Amino acid sequence: MTFSIRRFRAMVKKEWKDAIRNPQILLNAGMPILLALLFKQKEVDPSDLTFLSVPILVAISITGAFVQANMIAEEKEKNTLRSLMLSPASKLEVLAGKSATTTLFALIVIASCLAISGVPDVNLFFLTVLAILLLLIFMALGTVIGLIARTASESSIVGLPLLLLFIFGPIFVPSLGMPALMNIIHVLPSQQFVVAITELLQDGGLSEIGGNLLNLIMWTVLSGALCLLVYGKKRFDK
Amino acid sequence: MGNLLFTALFTAKLGWSFRLLMSREGVIVMESIIEVNDLEKRYKKKQALNKISFQVRQGEIFGFLGPSGSGKTTTVKILTSQLLYTSGRVKVLGIDPARSRPSEFLGKIGVLTDNSGTYERLSVYDNLALFCRLYGVPKRRIETVLDAVNLIGDKHTLVGRLSKGMKQRVTLARTILHEPDILFLDEPTSALDPVNSERIQKTLREMNRRGTTIFLTTHNMQEAEMLCDRVAFLNNGEISALDTPQALRLRYGDHSITVTTPLGKQIVQQDEVGAGFIRDLIRRGELLAIHSNEPTLGDIFVKLTGRGLE
Repeated sequence: MTFSIRRFRAMVKKEWKDAIRNPQILLNAGMPILLALLFKQKEVDPSDLTFLSVPILVAISITGAFVQANMIAEEKEKNTLRSLMLSPASKLEVLAGKSATTTLFALIVIASCLAISGVPDVNLFFLTVLAILLLLIFMALGTVIGLIARTASESSIVGLPLLLLFIFGPIFVPSLGMPALMNIIHVLPSQQFVVAITELLQDGGLSEIGGNLLNLIMWTVLSGALCLLVYGKKRFDK
Repeated sequence: MGNLLFTALFTAKLGWSFRLLMSREGVIVMESIIEVNDLEKRYKKKQALNKISFQVRQGEIFGFLGPSGSGKTTTVKILTSQLLYTSGRVKVLGIDPARSRPSEFLGKIGVLTDNSGTYERLSVYDNLALFCRLYGVPKRRIETVLDAVNLIGDKHTLVGRLSKGMKQRVTLARTILHEPDILFLDEPTSALDPVNSERIQKTLREMNRRGTTIFLTTHNMQEAEMLCDRVAFLNNGEISALDTPQALRLRYGDHSITVTTPLGKQIVQQDEVGAGFIRDLIRRGELLAIHSNEPTLGDIFVKLTGRGLE
């Protein structure tokens, strides 16, 4: 597979110009900031360390998955993805261009959320590694959602189960007392992220978060492979 | 001998299986740029293409004519690597589009389909600038193609604010931006007014003169007659005729002539009786006008398939 920096930069430039004029993408990016403001109003129970990781989780998951899904689904809806696929741009260049733009959005949103909720007192290196892996996973899942959905608005509906399970699962399921559901939630990358941040907040190190990191790496590889597989299949019509 | 050796080396270098011919001017002419043999495409419940075969020569405008649902779009999608075929052999620029490395192959073709999209929140210029970068074409080409499609004055307008016909011209400008070896055009003037249709047809003819091969699918018979060197009639996934428009008209015409006399119009056959009748009219000074009755491509299509092109 070819990769041209010129074509990659062209994609990023186009995506950025287009995205900052897209109300739906701006809404998706603005939602985590709004949630961070709401969370700030809530009195945090000092014993419940989970809530300290929530603003970052919400920022990464909503921006990563939904901005990416929206960008891809709209390309399909407006038949511009076909034009890109009929140009010399490879699927890697197209995906990398979109992912880089989503990352830019995510960085801005994460920075805004952290500015509102405060930076958790943890090892920043580990926090960054965990955040990058989680972002990659959600962008890959967002790409799959975008490719499955027929329109930009449909991407929000297709992505709703992901939102409920992956984002709100780690926040609300622990308090529901449903062990079967909790077993499912436990293998999700979002839950592993929350657990890892909680460990780091309790002065944990690599030995404490090693299992969580491994889980996130596996999710990154699997979701990346799924995303390339689905995207590759879309090159040809049925 | 020298020519043969050069031809063989040229063929081997390109890895193409086409026969290369020497024209009278000594210029090498590639015989076929698209080769389709026994092409079959079957969807779950429908046979879209039934073992069709045709070749498109380099530098010609080839018309692929047929009504909606006849298999035109399926063929274009197969030739442009958007759709896998069921069986047969397909070569475009010497390679199988289904098995090619896309960026190499796609850099040499231009595709305009009836649903080619544009980025509506970007300006006309930004839309084209993106594809300049993707194809590695200098941005000064934008002015040239915008002039060709009569959109130079709307360079900085957001595409979302343009009419349907203007958007179609933007997509056409994007399709010809990189001066492709082959242009696949699906109804390129369907949403255009007569003035812009004529301008686009002129641009296509100019591109063709500079060496671009054009594969045109349309059900506009007038456009096909004006532009195409050869046409193929596609009906229910099968090619029912393939030749130059003139040859088809001669083959399927009834060889009659309409003569206008002071008494009105009269149809006569091109035989000894008809010739004698015309000679008499001339001798008497009563022949006011004479026209051969050639059928249109639309008439021939109906004659061959029993159905119209709309």
